[in-house]
Amino acid sequence: MARKTSKSVDPKPKRFVATVVEIEGREETRIVELPAWNPEPWTDDVALTIVGARHPRADGAEKAAGRARYTADVRRPGMLHAAILRARIAAGHVAELHVADALSIAGVRDVIWSVPNAEHGGFPLFDHAVHYAGQPIAAVCADTPELAHAGLRAIRVRYEATAHAVTPRDALAQDAPLVRGGNGNRMEGSPRIVERGDVDRGLAAADVIVRGEYCTPVALHTALEPHGAVAEWDGDRLIVWESTQGIFAVRGDLARVFELPLSHVRVIMQYMGGGFGAKNDAGPHTYAAAEFARRLGKPVRCVNDREGEQLDSGNRPATVQRVTLGAMRDGTLTAIVVDADIPLGIGGWEGGPAQIYQEMYRCDNVRTSETFVYINASAMSSFRAPGHVEGAFGLERSMDELALSLGIDPIDLRLKNYADRDQKKDRPYSAKHLRECYAQGAARFGWGERTRTPNTERRSPRRRGFGLASQVWGGGGGPPAYASVRINPDGSAEVLTGTQDLGTGARTVFAQIAAEALGHELSAVRVVLGDTERTPATGNSWGSITTASVGPAVRMAAEDARNQLLLGAAELMKVDASALEARAGVVRVRRGKRSLSFRDIMGALRGAMIIGTGSRGPNPDGVAISTFGVQLAEVEVDMETGIVRVLRITAAHDAGRIINPELAESQLHGGIIQGLGYALFEERVLDRSLGIPMNPNMHDYKVPTMIDVPDIDAFFVGGGDSTANHTGAKGMAEPPIIPTAPAIANAVADAIGAPVSELPLTPWRVLAAIADGRTNIEKTKP
Amino acid sequence: MIHDLTLHLTVNGAAHDVRVPASATLLDVLRDSLVLTGTKLVCDRGECGACTVLVDGEPAYACLTLAAQCETREVRTIEGLGGDDGRLSALQSAFVAHDALQCGFCTPGQIVAAYALLERNATPSEDEIKRWMSGNLCRCGTYPKIVRAIQAAAGATRGSRGA
Repeated sequence: MARKTSKSVDPKPKRFVATVVEIEGREETRIVELPAWNPEPWTDDVALTIVGARHPRADGAEKAAGRARYTADVRRPGMLHAAILRARIAAGHVAELHVADALSIAGVRDVIWSVPNAEHGGFPLFDHAVHYAGQPIAAVCADTPELAHAGLRAIRVRYEATAHAVTPRDALAQDAPLVRGGNGNRMEGSPRIVERGDVDRGLAAADVIVRGEYCTPVALHTALEPHGAVAEWDGDRLIVWESTQGIFAVRGDLARVFELPLSHVRVIMQYMGGGFGAKNDAGPHTYAAAEFARRLGKPVRCVNDREGEQLDSGNRPATVQRVTLGAMRDGTLTAIVVDADIPLGIGGWEGGPAQIYQEMYRCDNVRTSETFVYINASAMSSFRAPGHVEGAFGLERSMDELALSLGIDPIDLRLKNYADRDQKKDRPYSAKHLRECYAQGAARFGWGERTRTPNTERRSPRRRGFGLASQVWGGGGGPPAYASVRINPDGSAEVLTGTQDLGTGARTVFAQIAAEALGHELSAVRVVLGDTERTPATGNSWGSITTASVGPAVRMAAEDARNQLLLGAAELMKVDASALEARAGVVRVRRGKRSLSFRDIMGALRGAMIIGTGSRGPNPDGVAISTFGVQLAEVEVDMETGIVRVLRITAAHDAGRIINPELAESQLHGGIIQGLGYALFEERVLDRSLGIPMNPNMHDYKVPTMIDVPDIDAFFVGGGDSTANHTGAKGMAEPPIIPTAPAIANAVADAIGAPVSELPLTPWRVLAAIADGRTNIEKTKP
Repeated sequence: MIHDLTLHLTVNGAAHDVRVPASATLLDVLRDSLVLTGTKLVCDRGECGACTVLVDGEPAYACLTLAAQCETREVRTIEGLGGDDGRLSALQSAFVAHDALQCGFCTPGQIVAAYALLERNATPSEDEIKRWMSGNLCRCGTYPKIVRAIQAAAGATRGSRGA
């Protein structure tokens, strides 16, 4: 199909337009490039053979063989090792820092306690004013990691501690210490209030009102590969291997701090042991490695140890959500109100729980209020669906309490309040298949038959319960994203794009998209990513935007390359290019017998290289692009011990076209299992009086193990969203973590016959909920 | 002061002499002296299983094993568990085929642990797999597919033995 050939030969000039882009739930207006042409949308009636098929992960063999080189595995000649000293107090300052003993150790090369221009958490890096326990104070560089740690132990620090505040209540008290100086501990602009309609009128009109207070914990990403960097200078050029979700973002950070042109900084990330939102910027380890490398003239590696990683590499902030729902007797919501406190740590961004309250259900009267509070703790960061995971717990628990008080089935209540359009943005959805998610999820779970399982077996302390929760998230992606596709003289093809594969499968899905668009064999296409010097720029891999942002650019580049190849073939075969088509690496004359392989064509073109280029155009105006899903859970609760076992989870998700169902299903599993950890185990414990985290390790901060994982039936509903972008794909890495914890919590509440309002559902919290019975959710009839 | 030792180690069938501090762990030696970086450092205290290797056929946390304990013993790492000609073994292939890896950082430890399981029990039940593997943490959530991969590899092994 050469329908766009003429346009690629005679491209229209590029133009730039303002468009709205959404990342991690935040919308902003940006000027973006309008591509000179756009591929025809892959609608559901277009036959695709490689896209949509289950292909093994492109880098699976390297990973299974132990050959994949992660940042922590990079070895450079003469490489030295750096380690970071962290504050042991929550607030105060470093009165004395004695480094002579460290420097006297044979093999310890250098100690630093400042890097000009570098910041961390909004303060100078290695600030000697201490703002939280775990804050970097200094760094040591030595011949081996062991010697670097010996150097840390030899540094003597005298701290002068001052009063700290590590809970929102302490931070908002009258005489609270000022965590960031300034006027108080509320973030500027707090409370952030968003209101539509009139909630007072909505509550006055309600037949039933439910109120509850919901608490969520601080969760730690706990990626198995910690943050780390290897830095090496080549004259005035800086090369950094970094475990990052954003190679170009790290390049920008380094260029700024070391006052270099962007052209003199190269950032590489080939394999990465998980990010989950915590690895979007350069960090103390990056700056320390680059600064030591500059001072010592040798490559330097700085990788967080596990304690450092758990202490200070970002987190999902805690929330307290006071929720009020008003409804008519038939279940129609008349008002949704949430008032939330979010302790961010010493810094971070406004990743609060409000948005899902504004968008999930149809309701004309909604008011959300979020108070972001600074406390003496490590700064929050994005963590897989930031805000929505927290908000879904308060909202979906409240919906179940409402369903119970109205005597309405939880699914019926949600269908009664189904949002046909995005009321937050006041736009219709580009596509929404949540209704089918409820229907298929309920059918496969057996929701209608659930009461047949005995809820109370006599003599057994174990009770079964059932619950569900819904989800909405963005994932529409957007510009900027660029790609190029090269066809080599032997016919093999390379996709070059400056994105990252965090373990999500980006390498694999972009190879599939490119092979489909090129008309090539998948095995003949290699994706080159994760290197700022070799690839055109693309944004961070966050907000579930990568497939929907980069995919269209890759497809356009591949079609551009294919069209050029067809022009070459047309010349060789003496036919018009429009009579040719490419499939499986062969160009054929349509309705004819003649054909030439890509290899033959490129061979005949004698060293010519075909380079296709592609970019991501803006999103369509006037629609909201979102992803949806529902999860249903069955649990068993031991009423005597409070131990919860999740028996099974059914997950139905709508995320547009699925490029690779095998890998996408893996993402659903991953979200559900992290959500299960959030529901049952995961909680940073920060001692209020000491101000110090008590569990910065993987034994006391518990992530799920294989034993904890239930039977999971996870699948996708609905087809491609070709309104969203011409590939029809949307993001789906974050959505599956959103409904898991509330679905489990609703099932636990069902099992014990009492509400649960605080995560994680550790045995003592469950026992307390059983003891409290139904007293802590207030229901009133006005 | 910690003294250096010269150790004679046999790793994946190859003999190595390394000079390291007496306190060096097997993990330090594998990763830093021998540059066998397939074995991963994650928790450094026996909590996650990412550094699992075989010492005389027994699974061991390399982060909790002193290198000096391994003289005269046979150490095998993920790099030594491949098939012939640098190909993947049946177990490794099953991990790829069932997408039992995402970021891949825990994968070497998972595969070594699964290998040790199948050496002991060629036909493990699902419950036996889950219990044996529960010391190997995965943050991406590949557990359901790891179970499938191990079951598939066990089945393939049975098939080939029967043939």
